Amino acid sequence: MLSVEDDGDVEAEEAGRDMEAYERAYADDRSWEDLQEDESGRLRVVDVAQQQRQHRKRVAAMAGAHIQRGIIRYLYLLVDLSRAAGEMDFRPSRMGVVANCVEAFVREFFDQNPLSHLGIITLHNGVAQCLTDLSGSPETHIRALRANLECAGDASIQNAIDLARGLLCQIPTYAHRETLLIFSALSTCDPGDILEAVRRCKDANIRCSVVGLAAEIYICKLLCEQTGGNYSVATSETHLKDLIMEHAPPPPVLAESAVASLVRMGFPQRGAEDAVALCVCHGEVKMGGGYICPCCKARVCELPTECHICGLMLVSSPHLARSYHHLFPVPHFEELEGTAMANGRESEFKLCYGCQQKLPFPGGEVSGVRLVCPRCRQHFCYDCDLYIHESLHNCPGCESISSTSSLPDLQN
Amino acid sequence: MKFKIDDLTVYFPYEFIYPEQYEYMLELKRALDAKGHCLLEMPTGTGKTITLLSLITSYQLKHQKMGKLIYCTRTVHEMEKVLDELRTLQAYQEKELGKEAKMMALGLSSRKNLCIHPQVSGEGSRESVDAGCRKLTASWVRAIAVDNPNVETCGFFEGYERDGANALLPQGVYTLHDLRTFGRQKGWCPYFLARHMIQFANVVVYNYQYLLDPKVSGIISREMEKECVVVFDEAHNIDNVCIEALSVNIRQQTLDGATRNLSKVTQLIEKFKTTDANRLREEYNRLVEGLAQRGNLPGTDTWLANPALPDDILRESVPGNIRRAEHFVSFLKRLVQYLKGRLQTEQVESEGPVSFLNSLQSQAGIDQKTLKFCYDRLHSLLLTLEVTDTDEFMHIQCVCDFATLVGTYTRGFSIIIEPYDERMPNVPDPVLQLSCLDASLAIKPVFERFQSVVITSGTLSPIDLYPRLLNFNPVISRSFEMSLTRDCLCPMILTRGSDQLPVSTKFDMRSDPGVVRNYGRLLLEMVGAVPDGVVCFFVSYSYMDGIVNSWNEMGILQEVMQHKLVFIETQDVVETTLALDNYRRACDCGRGAVFFSVARGKVAEGIDFDRHYGRLVIMFGVPFQFTLSRILRARLEYLRDTFQINENDFLTFDAVRQAAQCVGRVIRSKSDYGMMIFADKRYNRHDKRSKLPAWILSHLRDAHLNLSTDMSLYIAREFLRRMAQPYDKTGAGARMTLLCQADLEKMNT
Repeated sequence: MLSVEDDGDVEAEEAGRDMEAYERAYADDRSWEDLQEDESGRLRVVDVAQQQRQHRKRVAAMAGAHIQRGIIRYLYLLVDLSRAAGEMDFRPSRMGVVANCVEAFVREFFDQNPLSHLGIITLHNGVAQCLTDLSGSPETHIRALRANLECAGDASIQNAIDLARGLLCQIPTYAHRETLLIFSALSTCDPGDILEAVRRCKDANIRCSVVGLAAEIYICKLLCEQTGGNYSVATSETHLKDLIMEHAPPPPVLAESAVASLVRMGFPQRGAEDAVALCVCHGEVKMGGGYICPCCKARVCELPTECHICGLMLVSSPHLARSYHHLFPVPHFEELEGTAMANGRESEFKLCYGCQQKLPFPGGEVSGVRLVCPRCRQHFCYDCDLYIHESLHNCPGCESISSTSSLPDLQN
Repeated sequence: MKFKIDDLTVYFPYEFIYPEQYEYMLELKRALDAKGHCLLEMPTGTGKTITLLSLITSYQLKHQKMGKLIYCTRTVHEMEKVLDELRTLQAYQEKELGKEAKMMALGLSSRKNLCIHPQVSGEGSRESVDAGCRKLTASWVRAIAVDNPNVETCGFFEGYERDGANALLPQGVYTLHDLRTFGRQKGWCPYFLARHMIQFANVVVYNYQYLLDPKVSGIISREMEKECVVVFDEAHNIDNVCIEALSVNIRQQTLDGATRNLSKVTQLIEKFKTTDANRLREEYNRLVEGLAQRGNLPGTDTWLANPALPDDILRESVPGNIRRAEHFVSFLKRLVQYLKGRLQTEQVESEGPVSFLNSLQSQAGIDQKTLKFCYDRLHSLLLTLEVTDTDEFMHIQCVCDFATLVGTYTRGFSIIIEPYDERMPNVPDPVLQLSCLDASLAIKPVFERFQSVVITSGTLSPIDLYPRLLNFNPVISRSFEMSLTRDCLCPMILTRGSDQLPVSTKFDMRSDPGVVRNYGRLLLEMVGAVPDGVVCFFVSYSYMDGIVNSWNEMGILQEVMQHKLVFIETQDVVETTLALDNYRRACDCGRGAVFFSVARGKVAEGIDFDRHYGRLVIMFGVPFQFTLSRILRARLEYLRDTFQINENDFLTFDAVRQAAQCVGRVIRSKSDYGMMIFADKRYNRHDKRSKLPAWILSHLRDAHLNLSTDMSLYIAREFLRRMAQPYDKTGAGARMTLLCQADLEKMNT
């Protein structure tokens, strides 16, 4: 938190040189009163519990109820590299910040959606250029974007979404088509009618989301509203990262398109280390490694992909397993309020079931919130809650019940 | 929802009400209870109209004795909006009350907006439609048509006349469009039907002119009963409307036209003498008896006193020297000749009505008393001569208006003759202006006659000045603030450019290239940081032309165009409409646009730049009136002598209200947001700033005063980012902005 304020300071000094720091707007919310120095001299936020509650509320709102999600996604990342991307209100420049965020996002995206594909389109000089094709390897995208970080000219949203639509129209219907526009500019210079382009996107079932860097723009809002996407505007670098990362988990599926369909998939075996074969993805002879398509026996270099010969979708079972938690998420933990903590046997749970650290209770030295899993009734601390829901995707309490079901029930 | 204020049940058609609307109703009800006038300021976007309508109609339901609600708007567009709201209200009242909800509401406008006759309605101007209508509907035309089927009449008017008293509208709310549709369906003339239905309606919506302009109000509004409630909406410029209603300009063309008219009239008189001398004699007799008996006006009835026509005119008979038609014509000829002589002058002349009358008496032998009767005498003559194409006689009517006004008032007017326009001293364009200096003259009869008059607008600050200008005593005068869930207004006062030099449109600074460049840089920085629409207001057309020219030469305009398209308001209405249309399209499709406009222009008064059509408005300079104008100087002098209003106070008040009006264009509802930049160092002074409306001042933080371009740019960026975040519309906790029925009941107990 402190680091954020520091950044703010630097920015503010640039802009309003002759206005003292204490005169500025955040003087009003008296943020320093929330801070306290502990015995070792570190600064601590006084009301930890309140802050943790707010963060959980945000997360809960994002997660929503138990909804169907599309886990096979084809997403085009539209990165605005127009003149406005060179502005320096984010350090070092908007473009640099965006590139960092995109890098993190691409990794996170493939981590959370192993079955999905991603491509990058850049907007500059009034045209849209397809930087990388849809593929499953994060490194190609990151490398390509890093190599092409130059900004110039105007941005054209119409060109970008038309190009993305053309490319996304070819993918199979069971997959989810999405675009995510990261937009630095405040205007779009289009060759034709952008409203028509928005309509066509809607007809093609493409979900367009926009993350803005400067201000709310009417046409972006319209685009998102029409196509069911998400529009947000970043207030700072960290906020921008948060907003982009919000797009990493698979989006909920619209009711009308949520028809269950069977998808043919192949689970290829890894080829022998010393075998020499013609690789179909690069069209050259390669030694060792690679995967053999179970249908046509062609050799591919990376998973997941689509077989270039027979068009079969090739995945490995861990990919499927990693997507599984989106469909059956760990239930949202409930917070135990002060009264519930104090009464009866609940107060016996003094340690977090996850990390075995002390849990907060009224009058105790640890502050924060105490959380309970609605299924196994085990108590957890705030940090474990985050870890379980964001990384582990399994509740240790519930897992140990099912594996030790023959043993006497822990609860008793 | 339905709730009680004291003992009055108020029917409000929406589920929720804003706290300030509720407050407004409380104050309004107190004024109605006290049977007095009131002055209420509430920002736009808070639902003033529906608040007014729902309280007053509910009041009508409870107090049967109460008269109509007369709702005055400035434009036809606003009128339609009011009627739309009324329709929602009526539907709700009907749902709650069933048959008891007797609402009969209609809009009234000129023939131009109501005519459905296929040829006449196609005419361009208002005057020609009026004349076209008269040609088909005048009593003598119809009398001839009875015998001669070849004479054309208007089928709709005939239909309306045929059904006579049965031609009635069923209850409901009628917009102009509804009236036309209904008229077409029944074959009745909507204009005359509407005029007839006014006496049965309980809500009438029409233009200011119908009450304030003596020429029109005499025809339309004289039958309104005393218990009526009159509402002037968007009344921040009401003093100017009053003044315009009583001011006359006479140019060379007017006088030439008047001469032509007079010779035509002479011909007509000659013709009548030979064919129908009786008519002229009858008229003469009528005039001897006095104007009051003319027509069938009961002279004792207290109908709306016509300010242009004092009571004594009605009782007195017309002076002998203009009773005969020929005498009247020669009298007018003398008058026109005299005025022509006055227009020949080489230098500017300015005098009061008394000295003007003196010189008129001595040079042309025309006395004041005779002048007073001119307007009505001409009217009577034209009727007698069966003239239908009244638009042709516009000029002579104008001269008669002038004569009557000069003859009637000895105070509050001044006569100014200017041989050329100040801006173009080489082109002779003489004009004789009779300008009204006292706004209270035109509105006085309205205040005297009606029980309650409500004057309301988004900008009436400083609220204590209006009662002095209009010379009345309000029982309530209040200014309300807007309750907002978030700070969606961001006013800023910019005093310096990016080079820290002051900017201003002060006369000695405005042409300074440094100031021009600083203003240009400001615009350039802002178009780069603000999305969609940006609106700029300049102090005058000539200043706008000048500065846009310099920007073009400096290359600033080209740079602006890289970010946004540029549109400019011109004095041509069609061109401006087209520009506005394209401006909106550019905003819609995300290209972004800037609109250059002029304070006091058409755009500043009537066009909304809400939502993405206006995220920022920049007011370049303080829009003072042209202080060298003789009319303004005369008015200032008058205000100082009569109402003890300091000249500077008035000028500042007038400039700041125009500026507030301009910047107020961007916020039209609570979910909207917008920034306002007052770019002039003079706004930083307390006397200017304090005159801004309370709802702007309450958002003007100390940190936003005395800014330079780079500082305001930083604030703008931060504000736009903050506003783009999602927010809770209902407002949580302490900032309650929506009240439901239960909340109101809680407040009452």
